[in-house]
Amino acid sequence: MSSGRVLIIGGGPAGIEAARGLADLGVPVTIVESRDRLGGMPIAAHYATLTPSLEDAEQAMARMLAPLLGNPAVELRLGAAVSGFAGAAGDFELSVARNGSQESVRAGAIIVATGFQHFDPGRETQMYGYYEFDDVITLPESEKMLKEHSFVRPSDGRLPERVAFIQCVGSRDRQIGNEFCSKVCCGVASKQAIEIRQQLPEAKVFIFYIDMRMYGYWENRIYWPAQEQYKVNYIRGIVAEVLKKGDRLVIRGEDTTLGRPMEIAVDVVVLSVGMEPSQGTREMARLLGLRQNKYGYIETEGVPLATVLTSVEGVFAAGACTGPADLEDSVSMGGAAALKAAALVRKKALAAGATG
Amino acid sequence: MGCDTSKYAAVPLAEKLRLFEQVKADERFSHGLYGCYECGVCVAVCPSARFYDFSPRWIAQALAREDADLVYKFMNEDVWDCSQCFSCDKCPRGNSPGGLITILREVAVRNGLKSAKDALEGYGRIIYKILSTGTQVAPDMLQPNAFPDWGPHVKEISENLEWWRRALPPETLHTTETSWEVSEQTLRELYLIWYASGVMEMIKEVDEGLHMILTDVMEEKLEEAGFALDATAQD
Repeated sequence: MSSGRVLIIGGGPAGIEAARGLADLGVPVTIVESRDRLGGMPIAAHYATLTPSLEDAEQAMARMLAPLLGNPAVELRLGAAVSGFAGAAGDFELSVARNGSQESVRAGAIIVATGFQHFDPGRETQMYGYYEFDDVITLPESEKMLKEHSFVRPSDGRLPERVAFIQCVGSRDRQIGNEFCSKVCCGVASKQAIEIRQQLPEAKVFIFYIDMRMYGYWENRIYWPAQEQYKVNYIRGIVAEVLKKGDRLVIRGEDTTLGRPMEIAVDVVVLSVGMEPSQGTREMARLLGLRQNKYGYIETEGVPLATVLTSVEGVFAAGACTGPADLEDSVSMGGAAALKAAALVRKKALAAGATG
Repeated sequence: MGCDTSKYAAVPLAEKLRLFEQVKADERFSHGLYGCYECGVCVAVCPSARFYDFSPRWIAQALAREDADLVYKFMNEDVWDCSQCFSCDKCPRGNSPGGLITILREVAVRNGLKSAKDALEGYGRIIYKILSTGTQVAPDMLQPNAFPDWGPHVKEISENLEWWRRALPPETLHTTETSWEVSEQTLRELYLIWYASGVMEMIKEVDEGLHMILTDVMEEKLEEAGFALDATAQD
């Protein structure tokens, strides 16, 4: 027996694109999403806009989702989780738990698109006083304020005069164990810096960095305008500590450009936190027996010339469950995974027809 | 040294900001400063950076950050270490640290900063030559006491200058008081440019004596040709 259905775990950008592609090919799809809504991190974490388009995140995701809603080829299971797994490529049997009950779903192939979570700056150490000072926040918290058009000092609701971003928090750090670059934080911080300057033209914005990683068109679409048009101050040097002085914060570091120690008073510090595998990614990797790398991400096989193969035949992985990924990476991988999954179920069905 | 601004701590911030505003108001400013990668290519190609504690990157950075203290320090010291060769125009972002330095120097001169006077002090003769004759350093300035670093033969050459010059093939170089022959009309046009572009006012700011001597020379020539200098200066 073989199943022509593909089960997609995770309804974020990668999973949605995989579902769109499979539905277009006429392959029946089941999406299992643990949250109550599709849309993944851009929706769950209240993104204001997408990088680098600066398009409204809700609108962009709604447009992406539209072809799935009411599509007869797509079955949605929201607030659900995969809890059991058996079988082999072409004929997997999965248990899906929802509202305390278990249901069985058969699928010929599985696409894991369970994504990432933002690094928690308080996890290992009290980094930069994140849990100590109200005005030390993270990129997603800043994003939420920007979405509400209310970027303020969380401590007292006043408008900030100076905002400082600190890059590479929880990334490229052997002390923490995340040696990788999270890829998107340079662009997202620069995008937010532009938005802060748009919403608060009087505010001064600093970005403290090791090196700006604005690959491809992010360079000219985000970085240059931030620096040239919006006068965001990029200072090479990573902040060592954040202290409280009066009702403001003081950040200390080295200004490596000018070769001198620096101390700057600011109102809000935004920690540019990187990516880590989400809880769902870790759980699914364990349940499905997928090889993980030392950081807990699902290891893709055959990189760089294959992007979505896992260590288990018939199980594909797409998006930030495989490592730091931007939206373009995630969506591209979703499409690639759809193609691989569709080809696999078709091949298995043909083989079953030939022998049966 | 470097980026230490403590020497100018007593200068009020308002004064530093006033000068910085003049720099920003220069219409060339936005074409000289986009954003800085900190790549260091401007320092790598800079001849002055090899010999002095000088960095075109610092200049661009200080201006980009709108650090008025640092800009003031640079305007008083570092900008005079630049040879204005514009090698730093190699910048991948299209910045021109050399062009920014031109602006900083001009603001320093216009405001009569002591550093500008000090830096230009040794150049009175050269400024006089350039402005009054329209050519660069003239052969008759080749005097052993003025330019000992021009080598052991300066004395010999300067004593027979006319002969040496006549040995040069182009007739336009058979001059000793100017580098080459400059026509009366070219000279008049240059004088009018010095006045109209504000160069004469800058000279006045740094060296009043020199300004007086130059004005005498220029006025005479211009008036001969029918130009009323007072009206020209105000244009």
